[in-house]
Amino acid sequence: MTKLIEVNKINKSYRSGTNLTHVLHDISFKIEDGELVAIIGESGSGKSTLINIIGFLDSEFEGEYQFKDLEIHNLSRKQYSKLRNQNVGFVFQNFKLLRELSVAENVALPLLYAGKSRSEVKQRISELLEMVGLSGYEKQLPKNMSGGQQQRVSIARAIATNPKFLIADEPTGALDTKTSQEIMDLFKRLNKENGTTIIMVTHDPRIAKECQRVIEIIDGRVVNDTRRDI
Amino acid sequence: MLVSELIKSAFQAISTNKKRSFLTILGIAIGIAAVITILGIGDGVSQTMRKNLGNNATKKTQTTEIDYTPDDISSATHGFTADDLTNIQQKFPEVRKIKIYHVSHNITTHGSVGLNDGTYSVTLLKKATSEMKVIAGKNLSQSQLDAANKVALIKESIAKKNYGTIQNALGTTVNIEDKTYTVVGVYKNHGMYTNLGDVNKYSADILVPKKGYYTAESKKTGDVINMKILTNANPSKVSKKIEKYLKKNGTAKNQGVYQYYDTEKALKQFSTVINIITALISFVAGISLFIAGIGVMNMMYISVSERTQEIGIRLAVGATPQNIMTQFLLEAVSLTVIGGLIGFISGAGLAHLIAPLLSSQVGNGVHIKAHISMNAFVLAFGVSTLIGIIFGILPAKQAANKNLIDILR
Repeated sequence: MTKLIEVNKINKSYRSGTNLTHVLHDISFKIEDGELVAIIGESGSGKSTLINIIGFLDSEFEGEYQFKDLEIHNLSRKQYSKLRNQNVGFVFQNFKLLRELSVAENVALPLLYAGKSRSEVKQRISELLEMVGLSGYEKQLPKNMSGGQQQRVSIARAIATNPKFLIADEPTGALDTKTSQEIMDLFKRLNKENGTTIIMVTHDPRIAKECQRVIEIIDGRVVNDTRRDI
Repeated sequence: MLVSELIKSAFQAISTNKKRSFLTILGIAIGIAAVITILGIGDGVSQTMRKNLGNNATKKTQTTEIDYTPDDISSATHGFTADDLTNIQQKFPEVRKIKIYHVSHNITTHGSVGLNDGTYSVTLLKKATSEMKVIAGKNLSQSQLDAANKVALIKESIAKKNYGTIQNALGTTVNIEDKTYTVVGVYKNHGMYTNLGDVNKYSADILVPKKGYYTAESKKTGDVINMKILTNANPSKVSKKIEKYLKKNGTAKNQGVYQYYDTEKALKQFSTVINIITALISFVAGISLFIAGIGVMNMMYISVSERTQEIGIRLAVGATPQNIMTQFLLEAVSLTVIGGLIGFISGAGLAHLIAPLLSSQVGNGVHIKAHISMNAFVLAFGVSTLIGIIFGILPAKQAANKNLIDILR
């Protein structure tokens, strides 16, 4: 397996007023290509902060972050956008779909920002929607769909540009148990069939149990990192 | 992102908030319309001036006109005779051609309708026409006009005043210039001026055939002369000299007044007035455009803060801050350009409506037509684009500089 992500001694602190809150302490780990990783921890433990850094959303941190051969900590804000567009897909707890746009337009967004035209991406969009089990939903508006369906749309959007890895922040947090399992199955399928690396933040132990690797964070420190075969 | 895709999403965003967009567009449209209207009229006036006064470089002669008005309006005195013409031509060699102009419409003359003597205005008809609406009896036919039949149409108000009803007037007679005409029809009252601002010939009291109205004798005299004067001799000055000469030596100098009407001067004065008005309205329009621009800025700031989530999502899926800025700037520019185009169209329409009304202010048969030039279009387009950019850039920058982490938290 090849190394995809390597973080070394990542530190992050917020200043709120006169208080300096130290959120992440010397976080170091490697993630290989094709892994399905769960990051678990209490709320406030710093796991979201960590994946924001890994997902190229947050450029303000101390320490080293190597993505493939790139020294991420040396890049500018503009380079971050391109990096995000081509290498990472995001799935959020509350889906974060654009309400006024149709399903197809939502899924098309990353492709459009990659410089494609609307007509070029039509074929790709139906492929993506088929992959997440929403064939024929192109013209629907997200607000008329169930939570599970909306999350599938957001997954389709996340994988649209064939990114190297997916970041999922509590992807099942707003869903019931049955739908959660469906979404989890979808993630597992993408991981197995397409070889997409998935980094998932969750505090649902059942979801974590289905991942090959679980990294536990308490108070901004990695306290546990276990791999197992499923 | 492709520019075409950016434009598409700009229009999408504008149409999701129709009311707000409409109001912002309206502000711009009003400002631009005001500018285009006044520019259209101003250009129209200067074009009319050039056309009416002739291009001095290309035309050899220019036509001027001198009128005679008798003191006693009902007298049969005429201002010009053949002698006057010969005298003028001998005295002023700059005058290339001179002729007595026989007025054919709204001639003020003495006459009688029924038993009532008085002053009436008469229009002479050469061709059968239905431009006036005959409401009783029959219209004059072409054969009647050609045969110089002594038949006449009288105006509704004249008929009612003299005979009570319009039907009673049919078959009666009118006397004009010692000739008796039989009334065969009555026509509807018309306003003094046409829509184009000309004097309306059918506003006269009586219509009679042109043929036979002027006799061989009366053709030699008249109240108006037309002269063609060499352009480089300064027609306006020469005409003024002729006016002075006629006041001293004219055949009817004691019974009335000779007057030279200087169209050039009138138009020049008018155009000065228009220029002042243009400057004034442009100033006001400038202020209104500035205020409309602030409206655009206001709307864009609201839009940016309302759509924070959208900005965050777009950034997360790979939009660059540049993309976000372009998107919001394009939205602002689309709003103002739509406003500019609407303003241009309504301004052009308004100019065409208002210009004819001004013609009657200048008088003397001058037509003022609005002239919307390509420059005006470029101006409307350019100014509205510029307003969009100037007032859109700050909100767009704010949108682009939003902190992604704060948005998505």
